[in-house]
Order: sequence, then structure tokens, then C-alpha cells
Amino acid sequence: MTEAVRLTQAEEIGRPGLPIAAVARLAVLIVLATIVLYPLIATALDGFKSLGELHDNPLGLPRQWDWRNYWEILGGARYWRVLGNSLVIALATVFLTLVVSAMAAFAFAHIKFFGDRYLFAYVQIGLLFPSTAAILPVFIKVRDLGLLDSYWGVILPQVAFALSMAVLLLRNAFKQIPSELFDAALIDGCGYFRFFRHVTLPLSGPILSTVAVIGFVNSWNGYLLPLVMLDSDSRYPWTLGLMAYQGQYSTSWQLVLAFITLTILPAILMFLLAQRYIVAGLTAGAVKG
Amino acid sequence: MSIRTLALASCCILALAAPALADTTITILHVNDNKTAVKIWDQSAADYNASHKGVKVQFKYLENEAIKAKLPTMLQSQDSRPDAFYSWGGGVLDAQTKAGFLKDIKGEVGDVANKLSPTAVAAFTVDGKLYGLPFDTDAVPIFYNKALFAKAGVKPEDMQSWDGFLAAVKKLKAAGVTPIVVGAGEKWPMHFWYSYLVMRIGGSQALADAKAGKDGGFNNPTFVEAGQRLQELAALQPFQPGYASTSHAQSAAIFGDGKAAMDLMGSWLLGMQGPNASNGKGQPESNIGVMPFPTLPGGKGEIGDTLGGVHAFLVTKTAPAETADFLKFFSSEKYAKEAAEAGAYIPVVNGTAAYIKDPLVKQIAEMLAKTKYHQNFFDQDLGPSVGRVINDVSVDVAASKTTPKAAAAAIQEAEEQQ
Amino acid sequence: MSTARYDENPARAGMGAVGALVILLPPALLLFTLFVIWPIGEASWYSLFNWNGLGPVDRFIGLKNYKWAFESAVFQRAIFNNLLVIVVSLVIQLPLALGVALLVAGRAWGSVAFRMIFFLPYVLADIAAGLIWRFMFDGDYGLVAAITHALEMKPVYLLASDPWAFSAILAVVVWKYFGFHMMLYVAGLQGVDKSLLEAAEIDGANAWQKFRHVTLPMLAPMIRLSIFFAVVGSLQLFDFVAALTRGGPFDTTHTMVSFLYYFGVTRMRVGFGSAVGDVLFVVCVAFAWGYRRWVMRDD
Repeated sequence: MTEAVRLTQAEEIGRPGLPIAAVARLAVLIVLATIVLYPLIATALDGFKSLGELHDNPLGLPRQWDWRNYWEILGGARYWRVLGNSLVIALATVFLTLVVSAMAAFAFAHIKFFGDRYLFAYVQIGLLFPSTAAILPVFIKVRDLGLLDSYWGVILPQVAFALSMAVLLLRNAFKQIPSELFDAALIDGCGYFRFFRHVTLPLSGPILSTVAVIGFVNSWNGYLLPLVMLDSDSRYPWTLGLMAYQGQYSTSWQLVLAFITLTILPAILMFLLAQRYIVAGLTAGAVKG
Repeated sequence: MSIRTLALASCCILALAAPALADTTITILHVNDNKTAVKIWDQSAADYNASHKGVKVQFKYLENEAIKAKLPTMLQSQDSRPDAFYSWGGGVLDAQTKAGFLKDIKGEVGDVANKLSPTAVAAFTVDGKLYGLPFDTDAVPIFYNKALFAKAGVKPEDMQSWDGFLAAVKKLKAAGVTPIVVGAGEKWPMHFWYSYLVMRIGGSQALADAKAGKDGGFNNPTFVEAGQRLQELAALQPFQPGYASTSHAQSAAIFGDGKAAMDLMGSWLLGMQGPNASNGKGQPESNIGVMPFPTLPGGKGEIGDTLGGVHAFLVTKTAPAETADFLKFFSSEKYAKEAAEAGAYIPVVNGTAAYIKDPLVKQIAEMLAKTKYHQNFFDQDLGPSVGRVINDVSVDVAASKTTPKAAAAAIQEAEEQQ
Repeated sequence: MSTARYDENPARAGMGAVGALVILLPPALLLFTLFVIWPIGEASWYSLFNWNGLGPVDRFIGLKNYKWAFESAVFQRAIFNNLLVIVVSLVIQLPLALGVALLVAGRAWGSVAFRMIFFLPYVLADIAAGLIWRFMFDGDYGLVAAITHALEMKPVYLLASDPWAFSAILAVVVWKYFGFHMMLYVAGLQGVDKSLLEAAEIDGANAWQKFRHVTLPMLAPMIRLSIFFAVVGSLQLFDFVAALTRGGPFDTTHTMVSFLYYFGVTRMRVGFGSAVGDVLFVVCVAFAWGYRRWVMRDD
């Protein structure tokens, strides 16, 4: 994705020999990049300031680098607890989504049965509306199942709403597996499950990772569902933890900014380390879905 | 800074130690921002835990806005239901008893309840059942900054009538002082203004009559006039710039920083204006004064009538038996006296209000002792859904986003939709 | 009933297919039905009642919840705000994304780095981005404060002002999401056939003509897709409202979802909230279905 094979019109703009255009291009991009990055950098820097300095000097470098705001957060249980909760919820969501949707997608891709098209269309209904539309009945359902204020109360609805997209992406990918392979396997006495386990899954690494990336990012960044389902701050994921922290220290922006910086740090690090996969996952998922 | 470090450190220790030590954990949810009060509460829990093996009581803080949003769902969950929680009584309490979330503890705490202010206990008694124990009571006065008043040349004595009050607001404006700070971003602080106007115009029966549907319910002239008066005040632009998004904590900070002359707020402001101020200290108490809400021309309400609350910890139906026992322990004279002496709040244990040394809190306690009509906060009195509507419309009326008539009609409509 | 599609040994494989289906499908169908389909059906049912979530569902009030919702000035404003987000997405965000995509799609200096920078906000949680911008817009401490301070103006409280607070949210939407759309266009641009551009050049087409008549038509499927995401995303907008304004000042910055949360969920008006959710559901389904049927038919 990051390497263009052909020279496109876009490239002409930056082509050597057009110095004015090239300089203008760079100027525009640098201004935009500043607008995009500046708030993030300022947030990190302002976490080092005192409230007084924040008032007088919100934009510049801290006059005195005060590490206490950061150390206090890193030294407290709260920060690690909310990240841990998010991780547990996101990993469980991804794992369950992969297992459940791969199984269903395999059935839809390789087994012909009565009503298969209708059943597939049924599962696709979830693509038409957001989970938020039914948040109150989902809340009542989760409550009646006794799952309120538990990880499961967040994980299961998240998986259910991730299914439509995941099943679609996986079915389309599984169908690409040559039918000759499937026929040969069946003749050799290889059952559906062995085929699924030993042929389909190993061949589907990229699409499985796409589904995983989408599921992880959505769950990691999710706010409304945990907000409605979770009550105890011991189970808060970081998004809820951040808002609670902001509510508690609303007059001390420097602390809130330090907390924001530290809580978005994992996402930024992940992005820097695995940008190729993340970008590919998030955009490819969108395009193929 | 150091308090926060301490709090963080103790949180860690608690989090680590909790599962290992205690057999029964009792969680009490509260919204108190007043650090002096919370310190006494935490001490009471520590004392109780030390003398009761196998029980661990802990107070847990939840932000005001968060508790109002989350409590209805928390009470529905077996797991997250607190064992006891902070309550303002009123219609919210009624709704909670109807839903069967609460436990009658009259049998367990009867003897202690007799030592508390009877009106306070009555506020948490529904159909002869007592669901919790009250600990403090409060009245909302106008707090003012003496230096800023002096700067603008206004005197509290001249502000006992509405006209005098408005004149003083104008003078403050003219002197370049922000007359009033209000945390309208959270809405409820603005509803104090609307509520007091209703009380001063309509007197002690106004709210009860409206609820009973008399004379058009909330559409009656009292509520409409209250809206008009609020707009009359708002037309002078008395509030701090950006008041519509100011949080309660920020508003306390503004008062603590000496950037506004008046704040219509409960006595907890005194515990908040210091820590939230940008220098961490706020106004010295010697620079803060207390005065009643002015009377209105032709109004039935008297200057001594008070708006305020009485707060209790209510016990939920699945709470362990020790919860009521702890509340008894907590309601002993010892902690009430400490709270009074520290000026944290006005305790409801009979006789303990006398220990209040803080002159401002003492003044509020005297207002309460003399009042003939004490009204619970409207938003609590009216119950969970109508209460929030009155908060909504208070802000909208003040900002002229709606008319006084439409505001009154909206409350009536919410009452009918309930 | 079931036969394997590629089957050469019907009896054995047929049995296997049934066995496989019985194991493979139920988990997905069960979860999906329980947490997606069933609740949306229940929403329609609850929306006919005045119910606070407790006790029996027995106060039938017909369509009154819908009537109350549509009569509410706050809800009307919320719908208007949702439309505003869509308009801003289409008129500002997508053209911006396309323009930037043209600048960074190729191999010119820094393209990959700039793409990553612009995509970065998309990876962050809305709630964190919202809080960061709440600070930026703060009249006393943030970017806005610094500007007014430098110009020696009185502090300006954007998030407390009726016309400006929602504009601030719109700006954050563009800041956070244009990089995602840019990335879609970059992917599309890399698929544009170079020989067509060369042919156009030989015919004497200028840069604009090449863009208008070659690049743009080739990008059309991607643009249609990007519009789809922009609209669906704006209908779901909630986190920014929660982080930036909580719907204030004066409940002028709600979206349909935040209205549902603040007026339905937190007040435990299950019937009313379900009615609002149903409205959202109908709007989303009508859009998604219609758009796929008529606009993305050929993609």
C-alpha cells in the first residue's frame, strides 16, 4: 500500500523539475502536519507544567520540566488498572470475534445448505445500523442476564456487533481458496474441521489480522458501550478511566493532560511500530467490507 | 500535591491489600468534594475496621454528575450495587424505594436515629420505614467576597430585597467585578437561583401545590414569574464569561481565585474553593461573608426560608448486616463533633451543631435553626426525571433560550410524562 | 437437507456437512440474535410504553414517545447537528482529504511520513481526542486562551457559546477523520491507470482536465465509499460530544446518540430512549440500504 507501482497524477506534483510546485506542496503539507500534530505535542508538554504556568504559557516548552505529574500517575495503580482492563476486554473481544466469525464464515463459504443465502443476509443486517441505536434494550438484556458491570457485559455485545463485518470479510476471503483444494481434501477423507484448521486458517493470515486489527482498535477506543454497562471503576477501561479522572481533577488541566498523554501512549507506540498493518487493516477492512 | 500523593498511595495500598485481609467489604458511595469531611469519614471507616475484624468499610468517591447518571444503573446490578450511598432524599428516594432497591434498617438503628434531628430522619423515612441515617444538613446562602464588595461599594444589608440586589449587581459590574459565579455547565447550580425565586415568590406551598397540580401545576404564575425574575437578573449579565460550560469545580475555583463576588452555593463551597483555587489556598475565610437570598416584591416567601438539603447514607437491599452497624458507629457523637469542629458540615446529631467554630458554617447553622420553611433541593424533591428537567430549564431560561412560560410548561410536561 | 457444494461422495460428506453446520453456525447466530436483532426488535416494543426499566412493561402510551421526541427542541437541534456534520464532511472534509491525497499518494519526498502523520488522529480514541481539544478550546488555558492573550483580548469561551460550540466539534471531526478518508483516496489513486493519464497528456490535456476527466472518474467508487463512511460515522457521533461539551451549552450541541444517552439512558427513560434509538435505526437503515442500492450499485 505504501509503494505506488505506477506513476500517477499525484506524483507529477512532486516531480523534480517543478520546484515551485514542490515547494508549495511541502509548505501545505507542513502546515497541515503542524495542525494535526500540534495538539498532541502540546498535550504531552503541558503535562510537565504547573497550573500557573499553563495559564501564562500554554503553548511553549515548559520553563521547568516537572516530572511529578507523570510519575504520580505512573506510580499509581489507577493508570495500570485501566490499561489492563482495556487490554483484557480488547483481547477477549478480538479472540471471540475471530473464533465465532471464522466458524460461521467457513460454513457460509464452503457448505451449501437450505436457506444459506437468507441466513447470510440475516447476519449482514448488522452492517446497516450502529450498536448505539439499540443501546437501551441491550442494556436491559445485559442486566437480565446478570452481566451488568462485568467484562462480559461489554465483550459479548462488542463481539455481536463486530460479527457482521467480520463474517463478510472472512467469507469473501475463504471463497478465494481454490475449490480443487477443498475437493481433494474431502476425497482424502479430510473432514471439514481438519480442512478448516489445516488449510483455511493458515491461508487466511492477512484477512484474519485485518479483522483482528479492526476489532482491537474499536474495542480499545470504545466508550459508549462500557459507559452504559460498567459501573465499578475497578473494571473501567482507559476511556472511562480518563473521563473519570478528568471529572475528578477538572480544575487541574496539567494532571488531566499528563493522564491523557500516558493513556494514548500505547496506541501511538503501537501505531508507530505496526503502522503498515494497522493502516492496511483499517482501510482494507473498510474497502472490502 | 502531597494530599494527592497520599491519596494515590493509599489507593494502591488499599487495592493491593483489600482481597487478602477482609471477609466482608462494605462500599459506601459518596459525592462529597469537601476534603475535610471526607478525611473524617475515612477516619471513621479506619476506626471501625480496626475494631471489627473481618469487616472492611470503604468510602468511595464518584463525581456528582457521574453519580446522578450512573446510580440508576448501578442499583440494578447485583455486582456493582454499593452497600450504602449518598442520598439527598426526595422524589429520587421515593423512586428507589418503589423499585425495591433499599433496605429498611429501622429495627437495627432505631436507638441511634432517636439521637438525630427528627426532621432529618423524617426525610429518609417512607411509609414508616427508615432507609438510612442522615449525617448533615445544609442551607444554601449567598457567599460573597468581602474585598470585592468593598471595592464596588456594595453592602449586604442593602441586598435583602430584589431591587437592592439588582442594584448591587449593577454596581459590581460597573466596578469591573464579575458579580456572580455559577457552574451552569452542570446545570444544577443554576437551578438554585430558579428554586429560590420560586420559594420567595410563592412561599412554602409553591412547590407542593405545583406537584399536586393545583392552579395549572407548574404552569402556575409563580413558576412563570420566577423565570421572568431570573431573566431580569440575567439581563444584567452578572455571570462569569463562559458560564454555560463552567463545571461546579471550576466555579469554586473562580470564587477561590477571587474572580467573582458571589456564589449561591451550599456550605461545601467552603471546603472546595481552597483546593480548587489556582494557588491551592483560595480566599481566607475572613474575606468571605454569608447572606440570605433576597425577598421579592409582593412575594409570599420570607427571607428566613431556606433551600438546602439533608444528606444521608442509604442502605441497599443486598448490603451485609454490618452496613447498618457501621452507620450507627458513624452517626456517633464523636464524628459529628469532629465534623462540626472542623467546619466540614453541619451535623444532625442532636447538640453537635453547637461545636461548630467556623463562623461562616455557624451562621448557616443559625439560619437553619431559625428557618420556618426548609425546602429540599428541587431537583431531588421532584424525582429523577422531572428533577433533571428543572435543571435543564433553569439554564435555558437564564440564557433566554426559552421563555419563562415555556420553561414552566416543560416542567409540567415532564411531570405528566413521568 | 444439506449437501456439500464440492461433494463427490454425498452420503458421507452430507452427514459431515450437517454436523459441521450444527457446530459452526450457532455461536455466531446466537450472539448476533441475542445482542443485535432481539434488542432492536425490543426497542420498537418498549418505545410504545412509558417504562423506567423497572417492574412490568404495562403503561402503554402508543406513539407518544415519538411525539415527545420530535416535539423536543433539543432533539430537533440534535438532528440538525447530525445533518451539519454530514454537510461539513461532504463539503470540507472529503475535498480536503482528496486534495491531501493528491499530494501524498506518490513517491515524492516525505509522502509516506505525511500519510502516517495525517492518519495518526484516526487511530486515537475519540474520547481522548475530544478531551485534548477541550483543552485547546479552553478560554483560560489552551490554544484559544493563548491567542486571545497574545491579542490582548478578553478570554473567549468557544465551548460555552451557542453558535460556536458545535463548530468546535465540527472542527475536531475534520481534524480526526480526514486522514482516514485521505488514506482511502491514496489507495484509490494508486490504482489509477498511468497509461490513461499519458494518453490524455498526448491529447494536450492540462492538469485540471486530467484530474477532472481521468483521475476523478477512476476514483469515483472510492469517493462513494468514503461518503458512505462519512455519513454513517456522523450519525453515530457521541464521544466528541461527551468529551467536549456534554451537549451544552443549553443543550445545543447534542447529536441523536448523545440525546439518546443524556435524555434516555441517564434518566432511565427506557421507552423514550428506545423511541429515539428506533428513529436512529430507521435513518441508518434507510440510508445504508438506499445508498448501497442506488449509489454503490456498480461498485
